[in-house]
Amino acid sequence: MNRNSNNRKRPPQTPQPPPPTKHQAISPNGDEEFVDEDVFLEETLIAQDEENLMLRDVASRIDKWTRPALSSGYVSQSLSIIFQQLEIDYVIGESHTKLLADRSGPAAIIRIFGVTKEGNSVCCHVHGFEPYFYISCPPGMGPDDISRFHQILEGRMREVNRNSKAPKFVLRIELVQKRSIMYYQQQPSYPFLKIVVALPTMVASCRSILDKGIHIDGLGTKSFMTYESNVLFALRFMIDCNIVGGNWIEIPAGKYNKTSRTLSYCQLEFDCLYSELISHAPEGEFSKMAPFRILSFDIECAGRKGHFPEPTHDPVIQVANLVTMQGEKQPFVRNVMTLKSCAPIVGVDVMSFDTEKEVLLAWRDFIREVDPDVIIGYNICKFDLPYLIERAEALGISEFPVLGRIRNSRVRVKDTTFSSRQYGTRESKEVTVEGRVQFDLLQAMQRDYKLSSYSLNSVSSHFLSEQKEDVHHSIIADLQNGNAETRRRLAVYCLKDAYLPQRLLDKLMYIYNYVEMARVTGVPISFLLSRGQSIKVLSQLLRKAKQKGLVIPNVKQSGSEQGTYEGATVLEARAGFYENPIATLDFASLYPSIMMAYNLCYCTLVTPEDVRKLNLPPECVNKTPSGETFVKSDLQKGILPEILEELLTARKRAKADLKEAKDPLDKAVLDGRQLALKVSANSVYGFTGATIGQLPCLEISSSVTSYGRQMIEHTKRLVEDKFTILRGYEHNAEVIYGDTDSVMVQFGVPTVEEAMKLGREAADYISGTFTKPIKLEFEKVYYPYLLISKKRYAGLFWTNPEKFDKMDTKGIETVRRDNCLLVKNLVTECLHKILIDRDVPGAVQYVKNTISDLLMNRVDLSLLVITKGLTKTGDDYEVKAAHVELAERMRKRDAATAPNVGDRVPYVIIKAAKGAKAYERSEDPIYVLENSIPIDPQYYLENQISKPLLRIFEPILKNASKELLHGSHTRSISISTPSNGGIMKFAKKQLSCIGCKAIISGSDRTLCSHCKGREAELYCKTVSQVSELELLFGRLWTQCQECQGSLHQDVLCTSRDCPIFYRRKKAQKDMAEAKRQLDRWNF
Amino acid sequence: MEAMQLDSQKTFHRKHSTYHCFVSFLLLAILFFLFLLDFSFTSFLCCVPMQLLLFSTFFFFFFFFLFYQKEVLFFLGLIKSLKINQDETYEITKEIYGGQQYSQIYFARLHMMRTVLYSLVPDWKPHFPVCTVLGLEKDKECIIVGTLYKHMKLKPCILDEYSKERSAIPLVKPHNFMHPDDHLVLEDESGRVKLSSDVLLPSIYVTGVVVALHGKETDAGDFLVLDVLEAGLAPQVDVPLNSREDKYVVFVSGLSVGNNASNPLQYQLLVDHITGHLGDEKEQGSAAEIVHVVVAGNSVEVPAGLLNGQNLTSKDQTRLSEPIIELDILLTQIAAGVPVDIMPGSNDPANFSLPQQPLNRCLLPGSATYNTFRSCTNPHCFELDNIRFVGTSGQNIDDLSIYSDGDDKLDFMERTLKWRHLAPTAPNTLGCYPFIDKDPFLIESCPHVYFAGNQDKYGTRLITGSEGQVVRIISIPKFSETGIAVVLNMRNLECHTLTFGTSI
Repeated sequence: MNRNSNNRKRPPQTPQPPPPTKHQAISPNGDEEFVDEDVFLEETLIAQDEENLMLRDVASRIDKWTRPALSSGYVSQSLSIIFQQLEIDYVIGESHTKLLADRSGPAAIIRIFGVTKEGNSVCCHVHGFEPYFYISCPPGMGPDDISRFHQILEGRMREVNRNSKAPKFVLRIELVQKRSIMYYQQQPSYPFLKIVVALPTMVASCRSILDKGIHIDGLGTKSFMTYESNVLFALRFMIDCNIVGGNWIEIPAGKYNKTSRTLSYCQLEFDCLYSELISHAPEGEFSKMAPFRILSFDIECAGRKGHFPEPTHDPVIQVANLVTMQGEKQPFVRNVMTLKSCAPIVGVDVMSFDTEKEVLLAWRDFIREVDPDVIIGYNICKFDLPYLIERAEALGISEFPVLGRIRNSRVRVKDTTFSSRQYGTRESKEVTVEGRVQFDLLQAMQRDYKLSSYSLNSVSSHFLSEQKEDVHHSIIADLQNGNAETRRRLAVYCLKDAYLPQRLLDKLMYIYNYVEMARVTGVPISFLLSRGQSIKVLSQLLRKAKQKGLVIPNVKQSGSEQGTYEGATVLEARAGFYENPIATLDFASLYPSIMMAYNLCYCTLVTPEDVRKLNLPPECVNKTPSGETFVKSDLQKGILPEILEELLTARKRAKADLKEAKDPLDKAVLDGRQLALKVSANSVYGFTGATIGQLPCLEISSSVTSYGRQMIEHTKRLVEDKFTILRGYEHNAEVIYGDTDSVMVQFGVPTVEEAMKLGREAADYISGTFTKPIKLEFEKVYYPYLLISKKRYAGLFWTNPEKFDKMDTKGIETVRRDNCLLVKNLVTECLHKILIDRDVPGAVQYVKNTISDLLMNRVDLSLLVITKGLTKTGDDYEVKAAHVELAERMRKRDAATAPNVGDRVPYVIIKAAKGAKAYERSEDPIYVLENSIPIDPQYYLENQISKPLLRIFEPILKNASKELLHGSHTRSISISTPSNGGIMKFAKKQLSCIGCKAIISGSDRTLCSHCKGREAELYCKTVSQVSELELLFGRLWTQCQECQGSLHQDVLCTSRDCPIFYRRKKAQKDMAEAKRQLDRWNF
Repeated sequence: MEAMQLDSQKTFHRKHSTYHCFVSFLLLAILFFLFLLDFSFTSFLCCVPMQLLLFSTFFFFFFFFLFYQKEVLFFLGLIKSLKINQDETYEITKEIYGGQQYSQIYFARLHMMRTVLYSLVPDWKPHFPVCTVLGLEKDKECIIVGTLYKHMKLKPCILDEYSKERSAIPLVKPHNFMHPDDHLVLEDESGRVKLSSDVLLPSIYVTGVVVALHGKETDAGDFLVLDVLEAGLAPQVDVPLNSREDKYVVFVSGLSVGNNASNPLQYQLLVDHITGHLGDEKEQGSAAEIVHVVVAGNSVEVPAGLLNGQNLTSKDQTRLSEPIIELDILLTQIAAGVPVDIMPGSNDPANFSLPQQPLNRCLLPGSATYNTFRSCTNPHCFELDNIRFVGTSGQNIDDLSIYSDGDDKLDFMERTLKWRHLAPTAPNTLGCYPFIDKDPFLIESCPHVYFAGNQDKYGTRLITGSEGQVVRIISIPKFSETGIAVVLNMRNLECHTLTFGTSI
């Protein structure tokens, strides 16, 4: 199976229904609504006797795999257990009779999984924490009313949850003094009712009862606004116990009991009360990482020809595993499990099995023994894990899917849809592997980086600057059906695919960054990938609100009805090519600063009625440019500003520590932290503006942007007023462009140094006019600067006057995938020539040469390949698209190698009959190469390169279009003759003279009689072509050997993402042709 | 494998052809005598079958003569030396570029070299077992044989040229891609292992060399090399020296006719000297002893930029063909007097990858008419009076100097002999035809003279092998830059130079 393409691992077409769990359904919007799902302990367990049947191969390796033994202190329970928690979930079980004597019936038990610093795994069952939420207490409700209300609610709950066996639903209702976070209120607190229920799911059903309205004697039917009823139970627990994701937890000696029945595979398993937990803030010693185990794996499946592997049909043939200890460079276990024999591999433990069942069971045993804390891979969540589980189901191996840490508990699979404004909608599968964090690198990549392609190949070439070899899935079955050697070849490939995610993880410091992000925002690590941004802000908000005695309302989601608000401002761009230094003034974290400066928060917002009613003195309020009113911090300090302040001070501190830190691991932690803090600070604004979010408040977000707009305008005015000749400066300054949080100023001075001086002066001057902490900073100078339009510019980036740092481009087609490589090369080269070499005529000449080459058919085909992902089959597309049509045509030609849904389809546009639609003219590049089909240069000229080029050149040249696209260089055109199809079927082939192309016949094989005298010259030409091709051929093929890491084995790679794939193919074909030409000379 | 054996048989056959020739010549003489006898017995003529038999035998020997013309002439003393061309291994005739890849050539190389090295191991380290990379066990001393791969940090990569963003600062191209972090890896069919050692220096070895290593696997998974065994000089056919008369072979390379800096007078002096038109009687006398001339590559320089696929103007056509005509004239003059071999070089109008195929006859129509003229492959291998010559136009040595370190070019040449491979870096960094079942660059039989053309300066060295092999190594300088031709005396394998200065 081919692991490199993100889409390739599409979910099988017939997803089997999730294992029967009786609980309520699936959340429609992964990001936006949080629903707890109760899992009953007993239901998930399967019969005990099915385990302990271990394969012999596995048994012999256990020594290498298992975790270090427990020290005597833990065994005798005389030590405090201190561990780093990685995963927190809960199950429903019987209340612990010893710890909670007064309770009975089912209760939620929190399970915390983690690792001690010795590397022992921990499973901690926390008892006694109960789910609850708030409602505002209707005025005049006394204790009697409350108990009546309790009974009514209990009755209604019993009605709704008829089949539940719980003895009691609403445990108790308490009267507490709280205040809603919404709106400025003068009174410090109001009475609220805290409703404590038995099980987490009851929160939701209770909420819906209260939402709909409940009839209370004496008060009539009344619906209640609920508060904090949408907080996940695990998160609720973490907030109340002050636990943040990935921090260290201590349970003092004597406060925990070993569990009576071991339910998990963890070395330390114990019960305790939630009140006994000590949560350590991630500082000092507790900022370190425990030595947890990371498993990176990859599977290969033998698909049938022309089909994408489906678990119902296609066997899993190999599973490669690498286990690395956090903080170590090399994996300590490398193995591969293969179906049928496999020749040995250096440094790898090869385990071969005769049946698929053994492979799967061996893997299960391996997981159990190695006991990884984190499971990583590429597209494992959507492909590898579900495939394994569904395959086991198809084979009827019921004991396979016990992969979690809980004994006999089956892994559960369900389909989820994740949708978020920021990340778009993605379908995915959720595989619950209890106690192990899943970290799919593909999801992380899609989340954190904007890349043109997310195939493992292109991701690894982007981050590790390494090409990955790519074995086409149609070859995999052949390799598997070969002998031990070919299977070994496949195993090597599979191992590499398992190793790359680990290397990406290390290279991008994902563990550090994500753990730090979890610590900063306070959510469990697993939320970071599976959920959106808003939960992170919500978590912080809840924590802060709890401290202040505030509660957060569960606002009914009103969709997008609330409308939108005006976004950030962009000053009109004065397009042009600026050959003077352009200073850039940036607002440092503008939106957080605005929120802090003007004390914008839910709890400082004054409703329009209150403005009239309360009659607040004008010096105590801020009226925002968008017309909202917020009180100043002396009346009421906002929560959001407070959160932001903390985040930013923490970031400052982390940065300062980072400078001091010596140890590279400490540095990694601190750098991850400061990054997490920055991202978190910036996402607060987004949270308030997310209309279908948890707690939207457009008053805040529109105020923020309106302040932002005002500031940009203000800056522009100040700069243009102050830096003028009238005021004693040499030139009049001019603001040429301004974006969300930056302003570009042309001071008119000729050198970078002077521009920097003035830039700093301006930044200081203008910062002084703003409310703290808003600050204008001077960072960089662009020189020269090519401003094309809004959000599109390019320039050389200077931060010191001696040397430029880099070339900075924005919004210019250098990376977009839709374009062919030619466009990218052309644009990059032109910018390079214009900006760095300052050679505009040179750039123009370069463009002309390239266009001429294109028209003369001298451009390498690989530069013309356009790639598009095939997301659904042809019929489902409404508009005919080039790549879809091509895929259909290729399927007719050869179903085995044709692209499937999920593959990327590369194509080129070929010359065809006049008036043919573009989608009819797409063709497979390899087919084009093999049959020398002429490409359509006009298409590339008009549809691909003209727009980006004109964009660049229009500010520079007067009549760019005429000059570049219609000059004399476009007059000569050469088109290759196709070797088959169409009219060529009727053509008769004859030799022609190499010199003058005249048809020759008879005894002459090479030249006509007229060209005989030019033999030497013509031969030189032929042979020079051959020698160029030979040079290329040699270099390309040896490069591929280098990538695959072996000299003695054939290159199998068919990675179409690789820049040299087509060239390699072409070189091979051209070489054969050139050799034939050369042979004609041997008369 | 089969092809290899066949090849070696063929060489064997050729080696003894002098003897064959002698025998067959005797037979011919007897037959001729019989034929004369035939006339006297006219009655014999009537017997038609007998006549037929006689004629057929006659024709047989006639063709035999045609084939072994040179040998016969040499035997009769009509030509001065006997040259046998042995370029077959380097000729690419039927092969085409199909789907073949470079793995086969490495495979063939490893296979051949392993046989050689395995036979040497019992004398070298008899007490250690021979393993494959896969069979390595921790801390167990053993011997492994495999192909070296040198991991080089600075090695240019074609992917970078295509895929990397153009960097703002232009790269400085070093003349040598060595870096202190380079390390060696040993590979056989079963896998790779990283090598760590003080005895096996990455600066000396290059990718593609096959060696046997003694050592053990360390905890880090590396293979700690304790000792290295190279194949050493190949077996050599003994040639009695000193009993011979003085015969000279002239080596010249890098004529670069058509180069702007070249001087036509210099070429003429060289030609005149070789053909005996120069100097006093003594000098002419020594010139008369020249029995062979080898032109080792880069004979002509075609103006750059003309061969870009565009149609040429007639003026450019002349510019292009002029140097080639000039070279043809020079060679014609030499060929008229002495046998001359011309090898293609990197700048010549020939293909790029090794083995380079002979310059086409149509380039040198004048000299091609002489049967003393021969257009050869690069590498070139021939025997002259049983002395075996092997040489290249220098690409193999230049490539080694880019990817490894050495004091002078002779060091690199010596190494290739000891590795028993003319061009170990092919195909990795040196262009090479993707052979399927053989590696033509293996040195199966040690030459007596080994030369490399187009080097910076003249150098020579006599090396002796462990089995008494004696090889004369010559690095031939570029003639157009130095005006030096190298002369080898076949009597004692002594070398000296001829310098043609034109400054007065």
